[in-house]
Amino acid sequence: MKIVLKNGRILDPSQDLDMVGDVSIVNDQIAEVGRVSSPEDADETYDCTGMWITPGLVDLHVHLREPGFSHKESIITGTQAAAAGGFTTICCMPNTSPPLDDPALIDFILDRSASPEAGGIFVAPIGALTKGMKGERPSDLASLRRAGIVAASDDAFPIQDAQVMLRCMELCRQLDLPVATHCEDLSLAGGGSMNEGSVSAVLGLKGMPRTAEEIQVARNCMLSLETLCPLHILHVSTWGSVEIIKQAKYLGAPVTCEVCPHHFSLIDEDMIPFDTNYKMNPPLRTKVDQDLILQAIEEGTIDCIATDHAPHAAHEKDRTFDEAPFGIVGLETAVGVTLTHLTHKGVLSPLETIRRLSTRPAEIFRLDAGTLKPGRTPVAQVTVIDPAIEWTFDVNKTFSKGKNSPYHGATFRGKPMLTFSGGEVYCDALWPQRIAMMA
Amino acid sequence: MHLLAIREMEPARIEQLLESSQRMKRATIDGSKVPQFPGRVVGMLFLEDSTRTRVSFEQAARKLGMGFSIFGMQGTSLSKGESLKDTVLTLKYERLDGLVMRHNASGAAHLAARFFDGPVINAGDGMHEHPTQALADALTIAERKGKIQGLKVAIVGDVMHSRVARSNLWLLHKLGAEVHLVGPRNLLPRHTGKLPASVHHDLLPGIEDADVVMALRLQKERMDGGLISSLGEYASLYQINARALANAKPDCIVMHPGPINRGLEVDDQTADGPNSVIVNQVENGVFVRMAVFAEAFSNGHMEQPKTKKATKK
Repeated sequence: MKIVLKNGRILDPSQDLDMVGDVSIVNDQIAEVGRVSSPEDADETYDCTGMWITPGLVDLHVHLREPGFSHKESIITGTQAAAAGGFTTICCMPNTSPPLDDPALIDFILDRSASPEAGGIFVAPIGALTKGMKGERPSDLASLRRAGIVAASDDAFPIQDAQVMLRCMELCRQLDLPVATHCEDLSLAGGGSMNEGSVSAVLGLKGMPRTAEEIQVARNCMLSLETLCPLHILHVSTWGSVEIIKQAKYLGAPVTCEVCPHHFSLIDEDMIPFDTNYKMNPPLRTKVDQDLILQAIEEGTIDCIATDHAPHAAHEKDRTFDEAPFGIVGLETAVGVTLTHLTHKGVLSPLETIRRLSTRPAEIFRLDAGTLKPGRTPVAQVTVIDPAIEWTFDVNKTFSKGKNSPYHGATFRGKPMLTFSGGEVYCDALWPQRIAMMA
Repeated sequence: MHLLAIREMEPARIEQLLESSQRMKRATIDGSKVPQFPGRVVGMLFLEDSTRTRVSFEQAARKLGMGFSIFGMQGTSLSKGESLKDTVLTLKYERLDGLVMRHNASGAAHLAARFFDGPVINAGDGMHEHPTQALADALTIAERKGKIQGLKVAIVGDVMHSRVARSNLWLLHKLGAEVHLVGPRNLLPRHTGKLPASVHHDLLPGIEDADVVMALRLQKERMDGGLISSLGEYASLYQINARALANAKPDCIVMHPGPINRGLEVDDQTADGPNSVIVNQVENGVFVRMAVFAEAFSNGHMEQPKTKKATKK
C-alpha cells in the first residue's frame, strides 16, 4: 500500500525542513520525504498543492473522561475529535473516576485506544502524581511508568503541600518522569469562577487572582531547580507566570510550559456575561497577560500549545456560573485558532507553528512523534493542513461529545484536512470541495 | 421585557420606570386607580432568604390585581435536586406570565431568562445586581433632592459583596450623579477600572460634600473570613453618624438598603434622624415594583391609570 501526498509545503521542525515537495507512506511507514521516486505506483494520491504536510500534531493536555465520566467524552469520541483536529498523539489526564493511579487503568486506556474505532490515534496516558489525586502520598509511579505513562500530574487537583510536591518530584527525578502541574493556590483562588479583575468586579463573580497561579508556578519552578525533576507547567495564563518561568529556565531548571489556544485568543473582556462556555481554569485573563503571552510564544519561553480539551455535558454547563464546571473543548478548534491568531498574525512562522503543535510537545514528554523522519515513529503520523481555508466553527458538528466551546460561530483561517495515523486516514468534510476548487 | 441588570439598561428606560413609579405612588396616595392586570400570574422564585423584597413584590402584585405563586428553596423540586433550568422550564410550561427571581448566584436571572419566555425580573442575584432596590433608592433620592443629575453620592461599606451597590452605582452613573465608593481595601474589589466611580478607603474624604450617603449592610460572617478585624473596629472607621456627616452637605440624606445593623453601619440617632430616608426606601420599593410589573405586562404601552381597559390578556 503506497500513499503519495503530492506537491505540498513540507514542514518538519525535527529536521528544520520547509520545502515544497512530496511525501510517500508505504505500508503505514513514512518512506520518502521531499522527492518521491516512482509516484505513479501510488495506490492513493492526494494533491496537497497550497497545503502543509506536517508531522501528526501532538496534544499534551486532553481530558478523555474515561473511565467514569463517559457521558462527557469517551476514549473513542475523544480520539475521533483528535483526528478531526489534526492530532495523532494525545496525552490524557488522570482525573477520571477512578483516577489513573493504578497500572490496570493504564492498561485499560491503552487497550481501548488501540481499538479500531479509535482511528489509529495514539493515546499516551498521564498518571496520577498522588494516590487518588488527593495530594497526600505519591502514586506507585515506577509501576505506572512500566505500564506506560509518559508523565505524572495531579491536574485539576493542584498539590497544596510543598513538602508533598518535593517528594513527588524527587521520585519522578529518579524515574526521569516529567511532572506536569496545574498551578493554583486554592487558599487564594478556591471558590472563584473567573479571573479576579475589573470584569469580575462588574459581574459580581468571585475572582481567581493571578497570584494564585503565580505563587505555585514559582514554588514548582524552585522545586524543579532543587530536584532537577523535569517539570512541565500546564496552561500558563498570566504574565507573571511567564516571567517566573523565563527566570527559572535562565537559572537552569528543567522547566517547560504550554499555553492553551483560548489564553492567547480570548480575554476576560470577551466573555458573554455569565456564559459558562467561557468558564475554564485557569480563567481568561486580561489584555496585558495576552500581550505578554504572545510575546513569550514568539520568543520561545512558552514551549508548546496544548488544548486542555475538557468536555462536559450540556446539563452540567447549563447552570449558574458559580456552579458550572470548569473547562471547554479544544481539539477541533486548536489549529484554526492557532493559525488565525498566531501564524497569520506573524507571531509564529509556519515551521515554528508546527514545532509548537507537534515536535516540541513530543520532545517534552519524550514521545515517538512529532517528526517525518522515516522510522522515527511507530507508524506514519502525518497531518495535512490547509492554511488558507476560511471556515466557521459549528460546535454541533464536532466529534467530541462536549459542546462547550466559546468559539461556536467563530470564523477561522486554517484547518486540518487529512490526518494519517496507524494506517487510518481521517478526511475532512471540506476536502472534496477543496479538491474540486483546485481542479 | 426582562429586568436583569441596571448596567444593561438605557437611561431612558430607567427614567420611564421612575416616572411610572411616581405615578403609581401618587395614584395610591390619592386613592385613584392604578392599572390592573387581572389574569396575569407571576412566579416568585425566592431561592435565598428575603423578607422585605419578597413582601414588596407581593404587595405590588396585589395592588395591580395580579396573581402570584411564591416558591422558596424548601418545598420546591430544587430541594430534590432539580436544576434551575428545569425549574424554570416547568414554570414556563405551567404558563406563568412572568418570573421574579432571587438567587444566591450572580447571573442566575440571566440563566432563567434563557429558558423562560415571559419577562424575568431580577430580585437580586448573588453579588451582581438588585435592580428594583436601586430603582427604589433612586426614586427616594429624586423625591428628596428633586433630581439625580449632578448629585454626589457616597456608597459606604462592603461594596465587594453588594449587589445593591452595583445596581445603584450603574443607575446613579447613568442618570448623571457622581458616585464615590468608600470602604476598607478588603471589602472593595481590587480592580475597579470598569466601575464608573471614584474609590476611597477613608470615610471622611469619601463622603465630603456628599448629597447622599448610602450605607451598605455588613454581613457579620465577613469577620470570620478575616476581611475585617472586628465589628467595633469597622464601626469606628466607617459608621455613619453625626460626626461623620459633619463632612457631608448639611442636607445630606442617609440611606440603607436594610436589614440594618443598628450601631454598626449607622448609629441609632442617624438612622432615626431627620436626614434618614431609610423607611422611604422601603415604602418606595412597592411603587417601583408596581411600575416594573406594569412595564413587563403592558406590551410596551406604559399608560396613565386607565390602562385597565387597554390591557390585553
